[in-house]
Amino acid sequence: MKRDKNLPLTETTYYILLSLLEPAHGYFIMQKIEELSEGQVRLAAGTLYGAIENLIKLEFIMPIPSEDKRRKVYQITEKGKEILKLDLERMQHMVSITQKALD
Amino acid sequence: MYVFKCFINYGKEEEWLSEMSKKGYELVKACFGYTFKKITPEEAIYRIDYRQFKTIADFIDYCTLFEDSGWKHIIGSKSSGTQYFKKLRPDSDDDIFSDNMSKAGRYKRVSKMWGTLAATYIPITIALITTNSIGYKAFLNPKILYYTPGLWEKTGIKFIGSFLFETPFALMRVLPLLLFPIMLTLFIIFYYKAEKLAKETMKSM
Repeated sequence: MKRDKNLPLTETTYYILLSLLEPAHGYFIMQKIEELSEGQVRLAAGTLYGAIENLIKLEFIMPIPSEDKRRKVYQITEKGKEILKLDLERMQHMVSITQKALD
Repeated sequence: MYVFKCFINYGKEEEWLSEMSKKGYELVKACFGYTFKKITPEEAIYRIDYRQFKTIADFIDYCTLFEDSGWKHIIGSKSSGTQYFKKLRPDSDDDIFSDNMSKAGRYKRVSKMWGTLAATYIPITIALITTNSIGYKAFLNPKILYYTPGLWEKTGIKFIGSFLFETPFALMRVLPLLLFPIMLTLFIIFYYKAEKLAKETMKSM
């Protein structure tokens, strides 16, 4: 089977998709990623803005209506969930074969 | 205070703005040069992005994201392209980009803009050169730009006097036509410089 051309996801993309399983605006995504990665991944505003724009183009996330007039709120799409699962499986496979090889 | 300066390298522009604020000049306007206001000298960090927006809502969302994360949007509008930010809090990050790809992205967007401009100027320039007989022929024979009857038959001081008198008019006849090739050349130079900076940024660190 041919692998999806968007795989493997970058660390940034992976974390953004993961944090958008629940609706969030830009700054909230930044905070959530920092928390999820235990401070290892810190995204700067310009980098996040470009990444969001790109993920919308790929239809992995979409803006959703919100009451906040100044901040756009985003959520993962079905397509986004699908790619996140595929990347998880890819990593699970890598983890399992590596563990076997090292034992 | 107004200073005329031109930057293509955003990194150098950012450094220069920080130096100016150390000397007590705060940036207030950046349009064909820079306008500063006198302040008490301070350590300030500036960052520049290049982006144009489809809607006002997109632009506001962009500015708010930066402001939330500690960067005050100081200069720029929905379609100005260049966006200037000043660091708000000492504890926030020192950059508005956290990887080379996105840092190079701003040069990619600006080079695309110069490329589009150049592409629109190419047909205009070609049309001007091929259809306008004066401009085209003047490159081969500048004499035709001088309209004074019998100018080239005059000699000595009479010739010099008439010649110098008409030179400014002759230049005015040809300058508007030269403007397009000059602008086109500049756009192409800016395009390649931005492309080069994008490549260098990708390789750095």
